[in-house]
Amino acid sequence: MIHNAEVSYIPKKYHEAVCNWRDLYLPDYDLLMNNWDRFFPKDRPFQLCAYRSCNGCAVIEAGDNKGDPKYTRAAQMSEPQADTLLKAVKAQASTEFGSIQQHQLTLARAQDEQDQFWILRMMAEELRHGYQMFSLLLDDDWKSVSSHSGEDMVEEILAMRTGTHVLGAFNVDFDSFMDSIVFCAFIDRVGKYQLSMQKISSYQPMAQSMPPMLTEEAFHLAAGVVPLRRWVQKAAKDGDALITMPMIQRTINKWFPRALDMFGDERGGGTFVKFGFKPMKNAEAAGQYRDEVAQVIRDLNVRFVRARVPELSRKDAQRIVDEKEPGHGFDPEELLYVPDVKFFRRRGPHAYQQNDIDGEPIENKSEFQRRIRGYLSDVYAAGRDFGGYLKLIDRIAAGELTPPEAVPMLPNLSRVGGVCPCSKAVRWVNGNGNGEPADPGEG
Amino acid sequence: MTNGEINLRALSELDLDAVTAIDEKIGGKYRPDEWETRLMYYLRRDPDALVGAEVDGELVGFMLGDVRAGEFGMEEPAGWIEVLGVDPDHRGKDIGGRMLQKMFRNFRERGAKSVRTLVDAESQAPLLGFFGKSGFSETPVRTLEQTL
Repeated sequence: MIHNAEVSYIPKKYHEAVCNWRDLYLPDYDLLMNNWDRFFPKDRPFQLCAYRSCNGCAVIEAGDNKGDPKYTRAAQMSEPQADTLLKAVKAQASTEFGSIQQHQLTLARAQDEQDQFWILRMMAEELRHGYQMFSLLLDDDWKSVSSHSGEDMVEEILAMRTGTHVLGAFNVDFDSFMDSIVFCAFIDRVGKYQLSMQKISSYQPMAQSMPPMLTEEAFHLAAGVVPLRRWVQKAAKDGDALITMPMIQRTINKWFPRALDMFGDERGGGTFVKFGFKPMKNAEAAGQYRDEVAQVIRDLNVRFVRARVPELSRKDAQRIVDEKEPGHGFDPEELLYVPDVKFFRRRGPHAYQQNDIDGEPIENKSEFQRRIRGYLSDVYAAGRDFGGYLKLIDRIAAGELTPPEAVPMLPNLSRVGGVCPCSKAVRWVNGNGNGEPADPGEG
Repeated sequence: MTNGEINLRALSELDLDAVTAIDEKIGGKYRPDEWETRLMYYLRRDPDALVGAEVDGELVGFMLGDVRAGEFGMEEPAGWIEVLGVDPDHRGKDIGGRMLQKMFRNFRERGAKSVRTLVDAESQAPLLGFFGKSGFSETPVRTLEQTL
């Protein structure tokens, strides 16, 4: 039980649909429950439910209607407000379910049992976060104020798979357990920003959903950062360590651009602020996130340096890291760094620009493709996500597309009817990442 | 901005290095592994209940604890303060007292009726004085120990 929070459950039919989804995509759930006391002694037991915080501000905290009472029902909002909010709820729910599908791919490959169970717990809590979003969709009458129904949206989200989720980061396959850990440290951090911003939502049920989710999210971030700290320490001490600094850097290069994309176009976000759903526009939030990532990277580097040269004080180690000072028994080029915000982007003003990791433009397409491969792991560079990206770069270079036209060419779902194994109601097809129809999905 | 004001906030995984550094300054040992394990335990239980004290954006104090019931047969929920640390360069500013008051508020919100801690009266005499001045008193509950 989370303190100062009320517990609720979604209607039985949908609760069971979530449980069916869990059986399909989180088959180790029972393993987690059976080992809960072993890995998380004294922690409250996990519960698949929605929590709503009993505290919180009763008046709108941002936007045009600042100072007015918060909306407690969908019907109190205008149609544009409701549609904007539903878009955010859908995206949030999609990330929760999407990340479980991604983590499941590599969960078994963890080298350390504790790391594995931390990720498994995190997956169960992401499921609860998805359930929380469903409670927002199902506890209110959205039909009265929007063309969307909560029930349809729940079915749509349950039918999504990697490749068909709303945000790009959740359509990328994990290649190794390192993806799991880096994802927690970097992508879940975006989640923290979104949840923190939505804590002030003018729609009170949304605002009240955030504090319990943030409580759980704090663990998810640590479940990424703590193993990373231990890996860099091992990399510093052991020349034969399985996980090296360049491997970690390549994984950061894979995820950091997707994390920035998750904030949305840097020129946008005004509508969310105007309606009082968030206090910050996209660029401001992304900027704060980038600074926080820089802090994480610096912390990892200091950990690396102190493990490599134990006699150094913290202050000396920080100076060596900040100034990339040579002459201390390691190559400063080994240290981790934050890629430039213009590197490998797919949304915003830098989308599909040919920039190197420092943000410098590379005019020649072949040279750009060769360089960008070098910044990423071989296995990711050989995969479908990166392949789709390169195809779009080719089409832009050939003059078939402009970068802004390429931006929306993320996989898109289309409802075609039929049977989904989770909701037993619908069938979906998805785009193939190039903006063209793909083979029908199984739903 | 450097106005020397003390700002209290919850701790997060971003504070691991600073918490380790304060401990290192106090005890002279660099113990990152121990603090990762310790902070992780509290972060997954109730991150909002962990208190950090910042001066000019730098973490200068921390206090870890949580609410537990049923410990040693004592059924009533009680707040337990497990560990606190204040940067020696910032002592004398009542940072410990401020963190303690914040911790009390957190414990009350979580249903605790009392606060407990354990102090070694011989090796941690200053700490005993700090808790005494903050209103703590000895209880009939005794710590029993046997060498193994």
